[in-house]
Amino acid sequence: MPMLEVSDVHTYYGNIHALNGISISVEKGEIVTLIGGNGAGKTTTLRSIVGLLKPRQGHIVLDGEDLTQYKTHEIVNKGVAMVPEGRGIFARLTVTENLDMGAYSRKDQKGIQQDLDRVYTIFPRLKERRTQVGGTLSGGEQQMLAIGRALMTHPRLMLLDEPSMGLAPLLVESIFETIRSINKEGTTVLLVEQNALMALSIADRGYVVQTGRIVLQDKAAALRKNEMVRKAYLGEE
Amino acid sequence: MTRHIRNGINAGIIFGIVTIFLFMIGFTTTISDLLGQLLRNGSSIAVMGFTPGIFDLLVFLFFIGMWAGISGAKKTPDKIDTWGTVLLSSGIAGLLHGILVGGLALLVGSLLQAGVTMTVYFAQLLPDAIHLFLIGLNATSAGSFYVIFFLITGLIGGVVARTIRYGSWRQNLTAWSKNKWQAFTAWPQYQRIRHNKLNLFVVYGLLILIVFLLPQVLGQYWNYTVGTVGIYVLLGLGLNIVVGLAGMLDLGYVAFFAIGAYTVALLTAPAPHHLMWNFWVTVPIGILLAAFAGIVLGIPVLRLRGDYLAIVTLGFGQIIAVLLHSDELTAFTGGPRGVAAVGGPSLFGISLGTPEGFVYLILLAVILVIFVTIRLRNSRVGRAWEAIREDETVARAMGINTWSHKLLAFAIGASFAGLGGVIFASRNQFTGPEDYNLMVSFNVLASVIVGGMGSIPGVIGGAFTLKGLPEVLRELENYRVLAFGALLVVMMLIRPEGLLPTSRRKMEIKELHDPDGKEAGETPGGKS
Ligand SMILES: Nc1ncnc2c1ncn2[C@@H]1O[C@H](COP(=O)(O)OP(=O)(O)OP(=O)(O)O)[C@@H](O)[C@H]1O
Ligand SMILES: [Mg+2]
Repeated sequence: MPMLEVSDVHTYYGNIHALNGISISVEKGEIVTLIGGNGAGKTTTLRSIVGLLKPRQGHIVLDGEDLTQYKTHEIVNKGVAMVPEGRGIFARLTVTENLDMGAYSRKDQKGIQQDLDRVYTIFPRLKERRTQVGGTLSGGEQQMLAIGRALMTHPRLMLLDEPSMGLAPLLVESIFETIRSINKEGTTVLLVEQNALMALSIADRGYVVQTGRIVLQDKAAALRKNEMVRKAYLGEE
Repeated sequence: MTRHIRNGINAGIIFGIVTIFLFMIGFTTTISDLLGQLLRNGSSIAVMGFTPGIFDLLVFLFFIGMWAGISGAKKTPDKIDTWGTVLLSSGIAGLLHGILVGGLALLVGSLLQAGVTMTVYFAQLLPDAIHLFLIGLNATSAGSFYVIFFLITGLIGGVVARTIRYGSWRQNLTAWSKNKWQAFTAWPQYQRIRHNKLNLFVVYGLLILIVFLLPQVLGQYWNYTVGTVGIYVLLGLGLNIVVGLAGMLDLGYVAFFAIGAYTVALLTAPAPHHLMWNFWVTVPIGILLAAFAGIVLGIPVLRLRGDYLAIVTLGFGQIIAVLLHSDELTAFTGGPRGVAAVGGPSLFGISLGTPEGFVYLILLAVILVIFVTIRLRNSRVGRAWEAIREDETVARAMGINTWSHKLLAFAIGASFAGLGGVIFASRNQFTGPEDYNLMVSFNVLASVIVGGMGSIPGVIGGAFTLKGLPEVLRELENYRVLAFGALLVVMMLIRPEGLLPTSRRKMEIKELHDPDGKEAGETPGGKS
């Protein structure tokens, strides 16, 4: 049984039909990527999974439990963490305070401390800047902070929304390297990207979204060779 | 484009309903009387060709119309806002606003001409009020007048919105005042006191000592004034939790103050209920009832944000005021005449109901409330509020139950006001509906903003500025509201973080203004 099973989900913004029957599944331990152009419905899919939006139809099942009946904070407590599009750093809070917010609903002081150490090991840069307020960090540091903050919820499943957005190529590579190693340490990852090349290079499997529908799904390697993907998303002839 | 049109329509409808509502509850009449007092000392000489009452009403409606335009022209994050789209949104908002209000004018005007008495249904729809609303015209002309009037004021609102939101003059002004302020804080004496724990300790110790000796030296009048300031500090600290910590704009805050006051009044006074309870018993009851009212108001309004939240809470404050004024409820609330002979506190048979006694009681309450605020701010709850104020969506994604935390902020804020109300009514030995008008909400909000949202010393300073200063400058009484209005606008422009901001806010402003923290090559964390 897959860890996360999204089946035939329809989500609306008012009367805008943003998701038109999305179905994806993520196995435990995998990195799965969702690629697609602007306005395809990637962010909407992630927001539906964490309950920030309520699907009008369809099911989202995490380890056998239907998430659509729960509120966002309950879903987060079940082990789903989100790194939002545009990072969503608390601009006035320091780095440490931002990380603390990630651990908001946890009570196991020891576990929290361990995770904090882990985040600082993964991103030494954040440790150097732990008293600086989030709003003054550089784009790359903010992305690290967003990922670190998500790790502080100690998630089973981590949803990342365009972590490469606005970052220099070298930095993108190292962020993706980090995502891969977080995955190796046991966190399942669902990664939304416009940067299809990078996403497919670390993912096990991928889905292509267009206007609220899945139009293609395959192993990452196969997608990279796929004619349509190459044309539309890898910018090749 | 569609987003701009939709914003315009939303604002137009909401403001149309609000203006109609304000008229139905007689608020337009009240405010135009109030404005008449403020602007013209109640004189009855015609202004610019208008009968004074009508002039005052139009001044008020002008601002409402402008607000509708500003609200309609809200920023659309991912769309381009040009002069054209801003004016489109605000124009639509103004037009709809005008059509709704004009429609009402046409309706009540025609009914009045047909000789129907509407007071049966709406107590406030007296012929006088309707004549005022029709601004001396017949139903059709008044209707068309309002359409045009609100269209124009809406457009003016659009211009204002566009100028304020995109103008560069604002940055210049802010930068200038920042420099001045920084020069002041760089002053060595200031630095020395500020950064030495011992010095701070001595300063605070002296302050507390003075505060406790003060009531003995001050005369009755000044004790009364200090007490009033103290009550406003209580209110300010409560509203500070809602506005400053949780980030929700509540304009109906006076309602909770009234609930506290009426609790002690009705339970301790000989009339209308003859319960004559002990003062101390009524304190927790007043606090709890106010908190409960906070929850009752909170549940339906929590999904609203910004302007709309402000308007609905404003309405709630007015509803309480209308209920307290109501003749029908005299047997229960004392009606327009209020409740007299409200009981005061006593301890071991000694009455504390003297001016000095109340000053001590109020000081005690203030200290208690400060203590609770500090504890809350540094707790998990405080962190949740902080996250919600910063970014509600992300707060939810951090596993924070935003709904329950916002509700809690409402309840706690209300409970502080309840406590303030209990003390207030007991000290005056009287409570009447006039004590709980809109100006109280505005004054409290002003003290929170002037002082710097979220900061405790700021709220105290704000309350002193707002309630203490006018006593010192009695002469200026009549211009107080206007002067403070102007002061507030200036404050928001040059020191948006308030007089005594929380250190967090200061830090943020400072760091945003010296961007040397930015570094060149980005090398991310240690994996590679
Ligand atoms: N708050 C909103 N209100 C109305 N429509 C929205 C809202 N957010 C998104 N949409 C619409 O829903 C559709 C899907 O948007 P979504 O944000 O999921 O796209 P995306 O795939 O994440 O795009 P991008 O790569 O540009 O972030 C789009 O047509 C978008 O215009
Ligand atoms: Mg997106």
